[in-house]
Amino acid sequence: MGEFKVHRVRFFNYVPSGIRCVAYNNQSNRLAVSRTDGTVEIYNLSANYFQEKFFPGHESRATEALCWAKGQRLFSAGLNGEIIEYDLQALNIKYAVDAFGGPIWSMAISPHGSQLLVGCEDGSLKLFQITLDKIQFERNFDRQKSRILSLSWHPSGTHVAAGSIDYISVFDVKSGSAVHKMLVDRQYMSVSKRKCIIWGVAFLSDGTVISVDSAGKVQFWDSATGTLVKNHLIANADVQSIAVSDQEDSFVVGTAEGTVFHFQLVSVTSNSSEKQWVRTKPFQHHTHDVRAVAHSPTALISGGTDTHLVIRPLMEKVEVKNYDAALRKITFPHRRLISCSKKRQLLLFQFAHHLELWRLGSTVATGKNGDTLPLSKDADHLLHLKTKGPENIICSCISPCGSWIAYSTTSRFFLYRLNYEHDNISLQRVSKMPAFLRSALQILFSEDSTKLFVASNQGSLHVIRLLEGSFKHLHTFQPQSGTVESMCLLAVSPDGNWLAASGTSAGVHVYNIKHLKLHCTVPSYNFPVTALAIAPNTNNLVIAHSDQQVFEYSIPDKQYTEWSRTIQKQGFHYLWLQRDTPITHISFHPKRPMHILLHDAYMFCIIDKSLPLPNDKTLLYNPLPPTNESDVIRRRTAHAFKISKIYKPLLFMDLLDERTLVAVERPLDDIIAQLPPPIKKKKFGT
Amino acid sequence: MVQLRPRASRVPASAMVDEGQPASEEEEAAEHGLLLGQPSSGAAAEPLEEEDGEGDDEFDDEAPEELTFASAQAEAREEERRVRESVRRDKTLLKEKRKRREELFIEQKKRKLLPDNILEKLTTAGQTNIKKSSGKLKEATLQKKKEEYEKGSVSKNAKEKVQKVQSVGQNKSYWALRLKDQDLRDSRQEAAKAFIQNSLYGPGTNRTTVNKFLSLENKRLPVKKAAAQFLNSAWGTQKKQNAKRFKRRWMVRKMKTSKK
Repeated sequence: MGEFKVHRVRFFNYVPSGIRCVAYNNQSNRLAVSRTDGTVEIYNLSANYFQEKFFPGHESRATEALCWAKGQRLFSAGLNGEIIEYDLQALNIKYAVDAFGGPIWSMAISPHGSQLLVGCEDGSLKLFQITLDKIQFERNFDRQKSRILSLSWHPSGTHVAAGSIDYISVFDVKSGSAVHKMLVDRQYMSVSKRKCIIWGVAFLSDGTVISVDSAGKVQFWDSATGTLVKNHLIANADVQSIAVSDQEDSFVVGTAEGTVFHFQLVSVTSNSSEKQWVRTKPFQHHTHDVRAVAHSPTALISGGTDTHLVIRPLMEKVEVKNYDAALRKITFPHRRLISCSKKRQLLLFQFAHHLELWRLGSTVATGKNGDTLPLSKDADHLLHLKTKGPENIICSCISPCGSWIAYSTTSRFFLYRLNYEHDNISLQRVSKMPAFLRSALQILFSEDSTKLFVASNQGSLHVIRLLEGSFKHLHTFQPQSGTVESMCLLAVSPDGNWLAASGTSAGVHVYNIKHLKLHCTVPSYNFPVTALAIAPNTNNLVIAHSDQQVFEYSIPDKQYTEWSRTIQKQGFHYLWLQRDTPITHISFHPKRPMHILLHDAYMFCIIDKSLPLPNDKTLLYNPLPPTNESDVIRRRTAHAFKISKIYKPLLFMDLLDERTLVAVERPLDDIIAQLPPPIKKKKFGT
Repeated sequence: MVQLRPRASRVPASAMVDEGQPASEEEEAAEHGLLLGQPSSGAAAEPLEEEDGEGDDEFDDEAPEELTFASAQAEAREEERRVRESVRRDKTLLKEKRKRREELFIEQKKRKLLPDNILEKLTTAGQTNIKKSSGKLKEATLQKKKEEYEKGSVSKNAKEKVQKVQSVGQNKSYWALRLKDQDLRDSRQEAAKAFIQNSLYGPGTNRTTVNKFLSLENKRLPVKKAAAQFLNSAWGTQKKQNAKRFKRRWMVRKMKTSKK
């Protein structure tokens, strides 16, 4: 494998934003997650929980509610008073409708999928009709005194329960008037000055309304009479979210202490028909408030201020008890946020509203395996580039020579030229970028930094030639006729002839840059592509999918390579397939064509194609055995996958030159240290 | 109250010389006592001092001078007149000052307003247009918000007024503002955010810092460890910066002197 000096980088101050809303779509098994900075991410739960799409955030958009409607339509509403529909094909916002009620706190779609109800700041409930391509305002319900914080439709669509501050109202949809008004106690059987905020309500088909509030109570109300049936005090802090399963025999609530409780409808005695709601399981997977929960048929999904997305499959609902039924915690991003310029040893970090450029430090010392070498020159923060406007940065890239930086937001595309003279850098913006470059999903520079490739969310791929201080638009590869498919990942060959682009549904397209036409298409696989790279001399395209399969395709031969066929026949090691996090980056060694370097969040691996492949019985993770072992044993246990788990959690790992690696780590404690304050926990003895 | 003059002693001249000092000392002491003990008006004390000085020379036992009522009255009236004069002068000065300030303000106000003819035109036209303009403004809001999302850039509405205009007529005052400045600072949205912040993190909620939260485990271990964020790197940043600067300057100075 060789010896490498590793630059361990921990100065990437990446803090993800907290999760605010979660919505589960049963038909497609997809999860929509919205964060506090306005980003909406779509996770495909059947493709190994991979984040396949995302909509970049906006400063003024503070989403408070997220819903799926019939036919895979996604709606969100927020504190800027607008209802937004997202276009899942073109990955942009279809339209935004102002509800004219002030900030919107809650939204619910009727069980038939034809009507949409929003609860506003001024206490009014507004009913909208969902038409084929738009939503239309129908009417207002009776106006209430305080803001409507939570909504729930009765499964028949005749009644609506609305939770507000200190009371819950039940409305009749046809007339729009409040039928019942149920007053909620501020504190469990005592007096309190703080108002009781009803964070969530759920309406069951037998007329029970379940409410969760800020006093830590879960209450069951009878909507026919408007009275309290049962009261559960489950926490000392707020209970902030509730989600009911489709069969209505279980629901899940999330508290501000980070605990998620599972309630189930069980029979009172083993053979009686009478059932009651019992709190069965507590789960403590979060440290901060759990602000959103969802209930899929087989799993409980929760997300909150501590930025983790936790998916807990329920044991009794899972049919096959294999590794799929384990807890999944999604913490780190599934896309690359860091780009590297190998020649000048620069790293570009992408944040939500700014970019940072750092130069790596250097050392002159040498040592043996496992030593930490002292730095002779510290890492340098060269540039802090703030974006103009309220939108988030979608993607960014730095050219391999280090002289060009490009990034894109939803409405604009920015290209900068960097000049270096004696440790100083100067920045120059290239003005008048064409409008078709905006809202780019992926930006890539060619190896010699003369060409820029931009994948836009409309499905087209633009090739731009870079000249000194200006640019020239060379060509645009249009998508196949009829489909609007957003290209998510790009890879360019080091000799500059081939460009590979992967979309969300079709296979990977390979384009010939010299002749500017489509060369071939790799057959599509039913799992999305997570990483893409082209090897230097052999021009083999290496593709990693979200189910941890790695394919190697030879571009000149237009077929899979021998090695790829061998490993597909044998199959990967079972531990390799059971990894949680997707492979986000693939790179190659310039002098060793048999090596492929790839990494995910918890390991990095060098695949040596010349060594034999491991089968299920061999040990997958075998670090270097001690040198006093005989050579024979070492040769017997050696296999192609050399895995190292020294550096974790890894956000990025790349080969800078033949003897140097750079590993960007982000310890979880550093992220937690910058989160908002959690609820105080009193433990005995402290 | 009548102040008794200190009497000169009836000792012959020679003795007077010797005892001149003690006598003068006495007188001084008496003077001091006079000055310290009984506060007397300066005007009254003066003649007394003069007489003290002379009192050494003529050791006649003279009765205090008689001040006629008329002279005293005249003096008092003089006093009063002087005081009245000074007060009047102060008043006039103040009045003048105030007048000048008023004029200055009026001038500034005049400078701020547009010339009269334009104001007249506006007031006559403004009366009829007030209702129309508010309607247009609302439509403009809708239009603008829709266009923003479609085009991705803010379109400038030509109907928007940019200046701050004050009406000269009856108590109606209005001003027109650009919607672009108001867009992201909606007060209702701010109030909503403040509500959420208050209900989750405000007073009455049981919140603690992340440091304390993460250190709970460390406190309960069999071998107690330090807190998760034991070092506060944000402490004394100014001091550290000053120290760094001083060190650099000291090094430079040291280099210079060592070279010499």
